[in-house]
Amino acid sequence: MRSGGVPLDPLDLDLLSELENGLPLVKEPYEEIGTRLNLTGNEVLERIRTLQAAGIIRKFRARINQRRVGISANALVAWKRADSLNGDMGSLLASFPCVTHCYERLPVPGRWEYTIYTVHHGYSRDAVLAEIRTLAGHIGVHDYVVLFSTEEFKRVPNVRIRENGSTMA
Amino acid sequence: MTDHALPDRTDLHILAALQDDIPLVPRPFAAIAERLKIPEQVLLDHLKRLQDEGIVRGISPILESRHMGLSAATLIALHVPEKRVHEIAAIISSCPEVSHNFRRNHYYALWFTLSGKNEEDIQRVLTEILRRTGIPDTDVLNLPTTRKLKVDVRFSFLSDEERGGTFGSP
Repeated sequence: MRSGGVPLDPLDLDLLSELENGLPLVKEPYEEIGTRLNLTGNEVLERIRTLQAAGIIRKFRARINQRRVGISANALVAWKRADSLNGDMGSLLASFPCVTHCYERLPVPGRWEYTIYTVHHGYSRDAVLAEIRTLAGHIGVHDYVVLFSTEEFKRVPNVRIRENGSTMA
Repeated sequence: MTDHALPDRTDLHILAALQDDIPLVPRPFAAIAERLKIPEQVLLDHLKRLQDEGIVRGISPILESRHMGLSAATLIALHVPEKRVHEIAAIISSCPEVSHNFRRNHYYALWFTLSGKNEEDIQRVLTEILRRTGIPDTDVLNLPTTRKLKVDVRFSFLSDEERGGTFGSP
């Protein structure tokens, strides 16, 4: 048991570690993964279902390099909570489909008062800016900072069994 | 990206379909292919090419960090001298606790995410980064995550014509 409270046996860790390399692109990929771990394809599927039901696997899908298909504009927007806005501004922002990430964070009092952060992607900065302005208009909040990325130095999943999985042992 | 074949319309449909969870059935690609009304082998061939070209980074589970013992996370912004951006970014990226590290168009030019077992763990890594780079505390914004409201990266893939032929422009 770890801090998350979900039991994960060594075979689950081996399975997740295998899957981290990506599902093999063959007709029966779970069968192939199973062969490497001495499991049947059905046992692999059953374990994946259990990990998913336990919330350990949040999603199981392709990681797409959106820059390579032309989606090259990426903005992080820092929003200041508006006193005038009744209700939960974070949940409201998260509810818009154009928002891919939404987090609340502590401010740095006196230096940085923004507490809600959203991420936006698009084919051009203009398109992303237009989307953010529309969003701001919708919720009636106008105190925000748009931070476009100009260079990407690192982008990996925040949980990597092989690299930082030691924290789980 | 000019040295690679541009994704065709079938590729874009495939990419859109791959944003949903992969079916947990013995032949998942057959199930996706059926939805797209293409043969399974055609889907696999397109997928292999998309993966070879680095457009698809792989189909793998996204793990919930809190369940994996990473219960603390923060976003750090640094003001750094223009000519030290790359040197400092490399130091930051070398830390396994860092998952995202971007340069952004702001006085605070470097923005990166740190996750760890707890706040002390994160503070230790941040202190080490500041020590190695010599950046003063006054040039740092430490913005700990208090609530994760949404992580759902989903794109609407448009074909070249659909977005006015700007395909591939930087």
